[in-house]
Amino acid sequence: MKRQVISASILSAFLATAVATAAEDPVAVRKAQMQSNAASAAVAGAMLKGELDYNPAVAKAAIASLNATAKAFGDYFPEGSDEGETTAAPAIWDNPEGFQQALGKFQADAAAAVQASGREGPASLEAFQQAITPVLSNCRSCHENFRVRNN
Amino acid sequence: MLRRLLLGAVLLAAAGGGLFWLVTRPQPLDPALLDGLQPGDAQNGERIFHLAGCASCHAPPGAEGGARLSLAGGHALKTPFGTFVAPNISPHVEDGIGGWDVADFANAVMRGISPQGAHYYPAFPYTSYARMEVQDVADLFAYLKTLPPVAGRADGHTLSFPYTVRRGIGLWKRLHLDAAPVVEFPAGAPEEVLRGRYLVEGPGHCGECHTPRSLDGGLDTGRWLAGAPSLEGEGTVPDITPSADGLGAWSPADIVYYFETGFTPDFDSVGGAMVAVQENLARLPDEDRQAIAAYLKAIPSADR
Ligand code: HEC
Ligand code: HEC
Ligand code: HEC
Repeated sequence: MKRQVISASILSAFLATAVATAAEDPVAVRKAQMQSNAASAAVAGAMLKGELDYNPAVAKAAIASLNATAKAFGDYFPEGSDEGETTAAPAIWDNPEGFQQALGKFQADAAAAVQASGREGPASLEAFQQAITPVLSNCRSCHENFRVRNN
Repeated sequence: MLRRLLLGAVLLAAAGGGLFWLVTRPQPLDPALLDGLQPGDAQNGERIFHLAGCASCHAPPGAEGGARLSLAGGHALKTPFGTFVAPNISPHVEDGIGGWDVADFANAVMRGISPQGAHYYPAFPYTSYARMEVQDVADLFAYLKTLPPVAGRADGHTLSFPYTVRRGIGLWKRLHLDAAPVVEFPAGAPEEVLRGRYLVEGPGHCGECHTPRSLDGGLDTGRWLAGAPSLEGEGTVPDITPSADGLGAWSPADIVYYFETGFTPDFDSVGGAMVAVQENLARLPDEDRQAIAAYLKAIPSADR
């Protein structure tokens, strides 16, 4: 059962990126990108917790998907998209340099993880953990300043 | 006639003032509580320091890593009552609390009273810290003394009348300063739940953000941890009772995992003011996280 959930989330990670580029509404796109992030983090978390056996190809897919989101995410915050069904914080538009900095760090960490994972994916769970931990720390630090819960 | 009226008014004001003076006077800890203290254990103090989040307010704004242990103050809390600035609590003798003894410190943290006998504003969350064990406070004091002394005082608060009158806080404390536990459990409740209650309601001061406030700024304990508008800035703080909108669908293991890693069961990530809290919770011994989770699953649900 758990495995089914996990393979579903692997699939949705890739689907989310595909759906995202097709949609028009920037808020819907960036939310779908974040859902893809969550799916990649779920796969990584499952392997790190030992709920899913370590598999270098799956590890590489999770890293690649995070990297794709990191590259595209910043394009979906036009002026005026701070309203409606969004948890994007006003700070994104009030402090654009800060947001660019957070994005840049996410991109750099994701790119470094892609480098580290090589052709076959990280050879061991330890190598995967080392590569992905810095990438996942961006979730927390960007949400700290640029996301605000409103429900 | 007029003179008598005036005289009457003056007398009344004096009596009122006297009463005001009486009900607003600081009520320090019973000195007997401090008598039995063991010498402070800085190692336990460090654990309390993280749980209590002292650095979230007293570290300089933007400080990271080791710099979060230089408690020079300066962090501004913007509230509907005005802007409070956390002071220097490093062990610097002139500018910090280097000249204090353990009784001064315990009265500040647990009763909101300065060594000179003035009331502190409850932006310093002593209404929660009041529920701490005095030995834990003494241990915390021992730990703070191991941190670097930093010179320089933080800016003052920016408040408007009547909030500028510290004495008035005495009245507020009569309504809202209560060291008794908030949630009562029946006799025989698991030890872990009771331990969790201590950690959450006391040093963890989770209610200061997660519980809504009444108009005078006191916590509405009838809606304990049921979610609230954020006191500083935008947004809301979520319901963390076992309700459908709260942690109803989270298992205790999910809650512990969130404290360790910042990921929710849907692998959304922690954000906002909870980030600093989560990073602190991740440093605690695992049994503390388990106890907090057990308590959060045992309290009354917001949608009961
Ligand atoms: C550079 C900033 C940034 C980084 C890095 C980041 N996020 Fe986000 N995240 C946001 C913002 C902004 C939103 C709010 C989007 C909206 O509602 O418009 C968000 C929203 C979300 C959501 C909710 C989406 C929805 O459907 O409402 C999830 C889930 C999420 N992020 C997960 C993650 C995870 C997991 C990571 C790390 C792998 C991560 N985020 C990294 C900025 C970031
Ligand atoms: C939510 C922010 C916040 C947290 C958390 C917090 N404080 Fe404070 N603290 C304040 C503010 C604001 C004041 C100033 C109160 C006043 O001037 O009335 C203060 C005042 C103090 C003072 C009085 C200093 C003086 O010079 O008189 C001490 C001591 C102190 N805090 C210690 C602590 C300790 C120890 C902790 C952790 C257990 C802590 N604080 C956690 C905000 C905070
Ligand atoms: C300084 C304010 C503050 C304090 C103190 C605080 N929290 Fe939070 N908490 C928040 C905010 C804001 C969020 C929403 C985080 C986000 O944006 O994802 C939150 C989220 C949470 C969540 C996740 C809920 C969800 O639905 O995602 C849990 C669990 C939680 N807090 C538990 C605690 C516990 C336990 C404590 C005490 C040890 C505590 N919090 C103290 C502000 C606070």
